[in-house]
Amino acid sequence: MDTTPVTAPGNDILVAEEVTKVFPGVIANDAVNLNVRRGEIHCLLGENGAGKTTLADILYGVYRPDDGRVLLNGEPLDLHSPRDAIEAGIGMVHQHFELVPPMSVIENVVIGTGAKQWLDLSEARRRLEEFFADYDVEIDPDAEVGRLSVGEQQWVEIFKTLYFGVEILILDEPTAVLTPQGVDELFRILRQMRDEGLTIILITHKLREVIALSDRVTVLRRGEVVGTVNTADVEQRDLARMMVGRDVLMQADKAQHDTGEVVLKIDDIHLASDTGRGSLKGLSLDVRGGEILGIAGVSGNGQNALFDAVVGVRHPEQGTIRIADADTTHAPPHKVALQGVASVPGDRIAQGLMMDFSVKENLILGNQRARRFARAGVLNRAEIDRFADESIEHFEIKTPSASQTTSTLSGGNLQKIIMARELSGEPRLIIVHQPTRGLDIAASEYVRRRLIEERDRGVAVLLMSEDLDEIFQLSDRIAVIYDGRIDYVAEPEATSLEEIGLYMAGVVEAAGAAP
Amino acid sequence: MSDSGTSQQADEAAGSAGGSPPRGRDLRTALMQPDGWRLERRLEVRPTYELYATVIALAITAVLIGLLVLLVGVSPFDAFSSLYEGAFGDRESALETLVQSTPLILTGLAAAVAFRAGVWNIGGQGQFIAGAIGTFFVYDMFPGLPAPLLIVAMLVGAAVFGAIWATVASVLLVRYNTNEILTTVMLNFVIDYFLSWLLSGVWQASNTPYSQTERMAENTYLPRFFDDSRLHWGFAIALIAAAFVHFMMRRTSMGFEFRAIGVNKRAASYKGINTAVSIVAVMAVSGALAGLAGAGELLGLHHRINFEFGEQQIGFTGIIIALVARLHPVGVIAVAIAFAGLVNGATQMQISTGIPAALVTVIEGVALVLVLVAAVACRYRLRRGAVHADESAEGSE
Amino acid sequence: MEDFFTYSVILGIFVATVKIATPLLIAATGELVAESSGILNLSLEGTMTIGAFTGFLVANETGSLWLGLLGAAAGGAALGLLMAVMTATVKVNQVVAGLALNILGLGGAFFWYRSVYDEGGAVALPTVDRFETVAVPLLSEIPALGEVFFDQHWLTYFAVVMVPLTFVFLYRTKYGLELRSIGHNPEACDMRGVGIISRQYTAVIYGGVMAGLGGAFLSLSEAGQFFPDIIAGRGWIALAIVIFGNWRASWILVGSLLFGFLEATQLSLQAQDVNLPYQLLLALPFILTIAALVFNRSRSRVPLALTIPYHRGER
Repeated sequence: MDTTPVTAPGNDILVAEEVTKVFPGVIANDAVNLNVRRGEIHCLLGENGAGKTTLADILYGVYRPDDGRVLLNGEPLDLHSPRDAIEAGIGMVHQHFELVPPMSVIENVVIGTGAKQWLDLSEARRRLEEFFADYDVEIDPDAEVGRLSVGEQQWVEIFKTLYFGVEILILDEPTAVLTPQGVDELFRILRQMRDEGLTIILITHKLREVIALSDRVTVLRRGEVVGTVNTADVEQRDLARMMVGRDVLMQADKAQHDTGEVVLKIDDIHLASDTGRGSLKGLSLDVRGGEILGIAGVSGNGQNALFDAVVGVRHPEQGTIRIADADTTHAPPHKVALQGVASVPGDRIAQGLMMDFSVKENLILGNQRARRFARAGVLNRAEIDRFADESIEHFEIKTPSASQTTSTLSGGNLQKIIMARELSGEPRLIIVHQPTRGLDIAASEYVRRRLIEERDRGVAVLLMSEDLDEIFQLSDRIAVIYDGRIDYVAEPEATSLEEIGLYMAGVVEAAGAAP
Repeated sequence: MSDSGTSQQADEAAGSAGGSPPRGRDLRTALMQPDGWRLERRLEVRPTYELYATVIALAITAVLIGLLVLLVGVSPFDAFSSLYEGAFGDRESALETLVQSTPLILTGLAAAVAFRAGVWNIGGQGQFIAGAIGTFFVYDMFPGLPAPLLIVAMLVGAAVFGAIWATVASVLLVRYNTNEILTTVMLNFVIDYFLSWLLSGVWQASNTPYSQTERMAENTYLPRFFDDSRLHWGFAIALIAAAFVHFMMRRTSMGFEFRAIGVNKRAASYKGINTAVSIVAVMAVSGALAGLAGAGELLGLHHRINFEFGEQQIGFTGIIIALVARLHPVGVIAVAIAFAGLVNGATQMQISTGIPAALVTVIEGVALVLVLVAAVACRYRLRRGAVHADESAEGSE
Repeated sequence: MEDFFTYSVILGIFVATVKIATPLLIAATGELVAESSGILNLSLEGTMTIGAFTGFLVANETGSLWLGLLGAAAGGAALGLLMAVMTATVKVNQVVAGLALNILGLGGAFFWYRSVYDEGGAVALPTVDRFETVAVPLLSEIPALGEVFFDQHWLTYFAVVMVPLTFVFLYRTKYGLELRSIGHNPEACDMRGVGIISRQYTAVIYGGVMAGLGGAFLSLSEAGQFFPDIIAGRGWIALAIVIFGNWRASWILVGSLLFGFLEATQLSLQAQDVNLPYQLLLALPFILTIAALVFNRSRSRVPLALTIPYHRGER
């Protein structure tokens, strides 16, 4: 496998040179080099957090690079906004669509275009119909966009971008919202577009798509380019290795011990999400006391829905969830919590904390009616203060005082507040989602150590993470979630990063590995 | 509990984006601006900043009003001093100011409670009327009750009617997701006309062409504190209500939940708080407070409902008071007394300087506009230079 | 009761309906444009009062009703500008800003009026000669219909013409399309380089001008004078009409006429001393508006970003 950048001067249309982008606490792009040739389909492949979307956003003028530069046709490109990028001939379709749902397809297409004040849709209509005819897409130009399927909306987004006459089209995970047939159709059309001279940059984490579609692929890992290769020269396994392969795995510092009874049993649950992304489609799993079940997967494959279903914020349309002996399929969150379920949500600020409350108030959030903290509906301040001081000390929360406003604390301390709150009730099941995202090493290690302690205490731990190191380090069993299902469960010793990576990327599906 | 949770909802009231702290992509703007001076959102708005900002806003209000007065051809000093004289100059006027502040404290609290929970109850005016209707309803229904019991029953009736009228909007909100701002505004008018119908029909006093009820029996009058002032027990009720609101919001589980849904409804539901129940409950409390204001005016001052009963727009003024007070119960008392003083002193000012008493409404409007702008402004700080990684919440351990 | 259903009474009701609907319609079509840009301007009552006053002031000082209309437009625009500054630039909560400016408008008009005309104390209320009705040649000769629709004030014709014009503006011009898309999804527009703040200013100031003209109809065409309670809740009714009309110009016309009809009927009932609860007719517009909110919720045309301030880069 040849991983040296393939360069062919004269052919390059869009080039990124040593592009670096730093976000608070994270280097999203670290001296990234990319060259995209005119008229090719170029995939950006990588796991979540590898820096694919950030790189694309830089090419599209959403962010400005902290260092390095972007060249278009050999000329330096200075973008201040997406509008600049569009005018330079670069268009992008984000995962989050920029559509106006109550308006028609054609109105969406012409927003921001045209010179005349009198709205003339005939030109747009002609081009739209031509376009749809060319590519064999059936969408009524006068249909209200909000009533179209997500796949059709994506077509509107793509055409909206092309309507500006761009030469380069960037697509961010376009297949996530499509059915398999939809994917085939998209690929057919993208190939046709390429053959007609369009340059396409496709962001994906799915190896099959890379192999099926692309001419060349650039693999990113943790903000760095691993390499750019001709797709024809490589196998899926090579790419998987490039994508997830890494240095020596940190060894789990945890003792072997026996697991107990099944605490959480999920049987064939279905839960549709509004956007079509991240639905659950017949997911089953079980977690025993004293084990950590790690769920690996790329985000958007149903992790949020699984979390919501277990804690009771959303209820599955089908299937059952049992916690110990209780059926909690349709139980509201406070009833689920009474079953001894603790939860650490993936978005700690939006889902887990009241940023404008004091630290101590957050420490009792959800337990404000518990006997310990309230009598006859009146909060027991002495007990709350005692508990808060205890938690702050015990969980090493760095805060000037228990009355400090939570928003002033760092991410690690925010997570410790949640951990302290959730573990205080001596739960029998802990469900955690992305527990260390955005945390520094010390805080991450702390959180992981706590989870292992809980497991050793006999608690069932359901861990969802996109960080494979974390999964391997902590899990007693590893499952992979892909497209709303879990079809692969293995013990860490019996599997490999590469194997997991293949399942995460959907290369192998339902290969008979029963949960 | 600490007071640290208070800034947020007031911000909601004052401005814009509210609960969601910066995350993810929203660094975009900050990062894309070239170096130089720029506005940056503060991580924390300390209550002291808010206090300073409010004081500065009120000072600017005074200056602007002074200029306006000058424009009319009166010395601002004369205007303000006569205003002050009329409001607090002697015992009589000071006590009268407290009389006027009584309903304003209650409707101010009503708005503050709801806003703190992120529920936009603009219906204080209607709930105030509903309270008066409830009072008279109980009076009408139980003529035989002994006085103390009757007064208590009437106050309860007022609170219940106010709460019920608020609940119409909250149930529509949780059931049909209808915007409570719009429904409460509409319901204000509906109850107004309902009252008008009562006054010209079933409750109309005999022997009079006017739309008004009979004068209520003297044993229903709220006792007065002094012989020489109209100051009645309603004022004490208002102060007790403020203490109750403060206690409820800061010291009870229910108040905790109200504040929680005001700060972050999503996290609240993840932590098992039933947001629909909380919305209905907080609206009921809010409506009950406004209803009590109606009872106080009726039993303490007017003793009959007539067509002018709602004309002072006490419910709407309560909203302004709550916002200027940044939703603090104690602040509500202070601002309500100040506003009542303005109203009370304006008569004196008009007599001695010729400035129209309507200046008071202008003062209220300008004060509110400036306090709102100040509240938004104090959430930002002016800084120079580019954003660095170590400045964020995530990075600094 | 039989007396009530006479030809002249019923004709009178219809003539009054159109008159009463006029200021509502003018203010509501203006508010429709403002709300289309995503800004809910709750200060219509105050803005109409300011318009009624500045219109009267200028007309009274200059002796020209037409200059008075200009004055009303300027007064409304000033309050609209303030609203735009507070909501589009400073991004104060729109509801609160609207309530604040409402008070400022009401108080300001009242104060200004008193400082200009009330100095001596007991002076007779100043009046101006009102706008005359303008009969449309030929059409006004049609029995009944002519009197109801073609013998009205200039501002009434203006109001009716503004209905299709507002529709055409919002749905057939590039600017209108962009305005509506801002009201639904400002971020999508920002990404395509459509300036948001300038358009919101335009829309809200335009809404203010229209509210000012609506107010001026009452002071210059109806009353011929100004008094503090001249608007008497019509600003709020205009807001209700926009909701009742589900943010569509044609239905706003229907709503204005319907609400005007209810008001005209109740006035007539009272005048004829008919023993029916006229209050029900007065309350009906608000009850119908709440009902419309409930029943239209699945096909609501409310601008999706109404009242939500746009901060670039926040989702």
